[in-house]
Amino acid sequence: MHDYFLFIGLPYVALFSIIVVTIYRFNSNRYGFSSLSSQFLEKKKLLWGSVPWHIGLFIIILGHGAAFFTPKLLQSLVANKTVMYILEIIGLTAALFALFGLIVLFVRRLRNSRIQAVTSNMDLVILTLLTVQIVLGILTATLYQWGSSWSPGIVGPYMHSIFTFNPDMSYVKELPFVIKAHIVIAWLIILLVPFTRLVHMFSLPITYIGRLPQVVVWSFRRQKEAVVIAETEDTTRRYFLKALIGITTGVVLLLIGIVDKIIPFFIGPALSREEKAKFLKGRLEKIKKAVKQKELEHERLINEFIHIADLKDLKNEEGLYFIDYKMKPGLAFKGEDGLPVLYSAKCTHLGCTIANKVKDGKLLCPCHISHFDIKTGNVIDGPALEPLPKINFLLKDVNDQVVVNIDKSKLNEYKVYIARSEEI
Amino acid sequence: MSIFSKVLDPMRERLPLDKFNLKSMVYNKKVPQHKMKWAYYLGGLALLFFTIQLITGLLLLFYYQPTTEEAYDSVKFITEQVPGGAVIRNLHAWTSSAMVLIVILHLLTTFAMKAFEKPREITWVTGVILLFITFGFSFTGYLLPWHQLSVNATKVALEFIGVVGQYLPGEYSKIPHQIVELIQGGATVGQETLSRFFAIHVVILPLCIFAFLGMHLLVVQLHGMSKGVDKEVTVHEKFFPDFLIKDFSLWAIVFFILFVLAITIPIDSFFPYPLMEPYNPLGSTPEGIKPEWYFFFIYYPMEILPFWIILVASIVLVIILFLVPKIFAGTSRKTLAFLAILAFIYFVIMTVFGESIVTLVKGGH
Repeated sequence: MHDYFLFIGLPYVALFSIIVVTIYRFNSNRYGFSSLSSQFLEKKKLLWGSVPWHIGLFIIILGHGAAFFTPKLLQSLVANKTVMYILEIIGLTAALFALFGLIVLFVRRLRNSRIQAVTSNMDLVILTLLTVQIVLGILTATLYQWGSSWSPGIVGPYMHSIFTFNPDMSYVKELPFVIKAHIVIAWLIILLVPFTRLVHMFSLPITYIGRLPQVVVWSFRRQKEAVVIAETEDTTRRYFLKALIGITTGVVLLLIGIVDKIIPFFIGPALSREEKAKFLKGRLEKIKKAVKQKELEHERLINEFIHIADLKDLKNEEGLYFIDYKMKPGLAFKGEDGLPVLYSAKCTHLGCTIANKVKDGKLLCPCHISHFDIKTGNVIDGPALEPLPKINFLLKDVNDQVVVNIDKSKLNEYKVYIARSEEI
Repeated sequence: MSIFSKVLDPMRERLPLDKFNLKSMVYNKKVPQHKMKWAYYLGGLALLFFTIQLITGLLLLFYYQPTTEEAYDSVKFITEQVPGGAVIRNLHAWTSSAMVLIVILHLLTTFAMKAFEKPREITWVTGVILLFITFGFSFTGYLLPWHQLSVNATKVALEFIGVVGQYLPGEYSKIPHQIVELIQGGATVGQETLSRFFAIHVVILPLCIFAFLGMHLLVVQLHGMSKGVDKEVTVHEKFFPDFLIKDFSLWAIVFFILFVLAITIPIDSFFPYPLMEPYNPLGSTPEGIKPEWYFFFIYYPMEILPFWIILVASIVLVIILFLVPKIFAGTSRKTLAFLAILAFIYFVIMTVFGESIVTLVKGGH
């Protein structure tokens, strides 16, 4: 069951977190939405750490993205051995590059006292997780080689199933521990993104690229006021638009989701001929059983005597279930004298059906653990208060005549019956 | 004062239909802001859960078949074959538990906040009736999958009614058994029982719940939110749109959680397989027959204490529940909160540790 949580529950929690909590954090604390740069505290090591780390990571993420989202394309590419080797070498190099950078960053953070002062526990947690993750990734790449060829067929469908809200973890649950850990930690990191400095991945200053070379800021009072008013109007309008877009998208997604689930639900399953046959077979078995049950009931309505079993089939230690005249369960045993012993199997406490195995001369009701004496039906212990009622029986011989004088030598020929007149 | 106004005035006070307009029911309604303000969301959640149950229940009706031969298979068919069937069934099951939990919390918080105070008696009494309807839903719904657990648990629960007979004199002692047979529709739990429970679950109780829920919501909107705390409340929030938007946001989050639960954790996975097998009338009852968790608070005490204590206690409790607005009219909210917390702790302890307590008291088996 923990697999369900780790590979289906956790991903959705993580995706929920990275979408909703990130937006929430962006809206509630916009100025904290950054990598909390410590460049002005320490520069040199940062250069040697941050640059390799980010370059390496970028390449690795590209590779993973290709496996997740364009598995077919990647598979067709790596079908060519040379391409596969090149891709693997690039990937491994990038991973080692990133690991190197990460270790430099880690050491910097642990040793430099100025950096220490601005380090939060979350920074350390995320650094550790990232290091473990990179190491696990390198282990995966080296222990289970040629990931670029096998992962698209395994992790690709898994990711696809997650993102189409049709989660199927059968692809990943049989994977080796290292890879499983790699996947779980990946979700964990995604989950933690909005709680850490990792949010800076969403605040890349991409606009710098297209920004005007010169930004004009008015310094006259009136112009300033005009700018403020214009900006306020602009912000309000933008908020309204954003909210509108958000709500519309939400509603549309909800509708798509509902339609996606409901319409196939109404259409029903498309079963193959074999499946249909199997299904129908199962139903037929059930109906046959039901017919048997109804026949028993009918028999009890019309017949004065009901055949329970042949005496030779009864056992001392294991009871045979039968249905009495009121359609309630009964148990038939062979007593020590070779004659049958019949009890109602309905526990006198709360009506559960008692078990048919005799243990140490006791019968057990498994519901609330009452024990009954097999010889008398009396309660030995447990919550039941009254003894199990005995059901009277009569014996018939080979010629279907009721036996009046029991002949001990002919016991094996007798048949056990219950009679309507003896009904309890 | 004329005899009419003597009768009508209290009624007008409790059902102020002059406020039956959009302006006072929606636009002017205000929600007090204080440390218990979270409790104002519980009723809305119960409404959300009811809506989910209604929709998923209707969907399940398209495939479910209420006969002893077909019930189990049709549920299996829904779970395994129908596209989206597993989600819808699990959502129905998960939401049923969530609904009972929220309804109990709603009852306890409104009790602690003295929301039953005059003129809100109708809200309280309809609320208590809705609680019992909710329990009725869970009890009847439990039987429908027709597996070992559901049928045997229903049997045991019905037998408890029969046990009352031992406390009644002479001829009357048979009446409880006759009631059990009336509910079952026969000597044992069978097709008749399934048909009855099905009809109750999908027709009778929904009709009842519509009536009482309509009444409940109407008086809630007519009277507005109760004050909730002893001291004067100065800060308020507008019901529309502020509170409503928060309410809907909460609905979205809770629905998301339920949906993820329904997709990832099938409700059957909480029980060992033998309990999920089709019901077998010709065999021993399997071990581990228990009611749903929300009945533990009454089930485990029943295993320890003599039955008459539970019987008397339950009757007294039901009477008290209905008479709360009268009995606690003068009690301070502090005392009420204390009582509510006490009840909640009892509920949690019996639900979580009930089984261990039973083993402890009765000694190991």
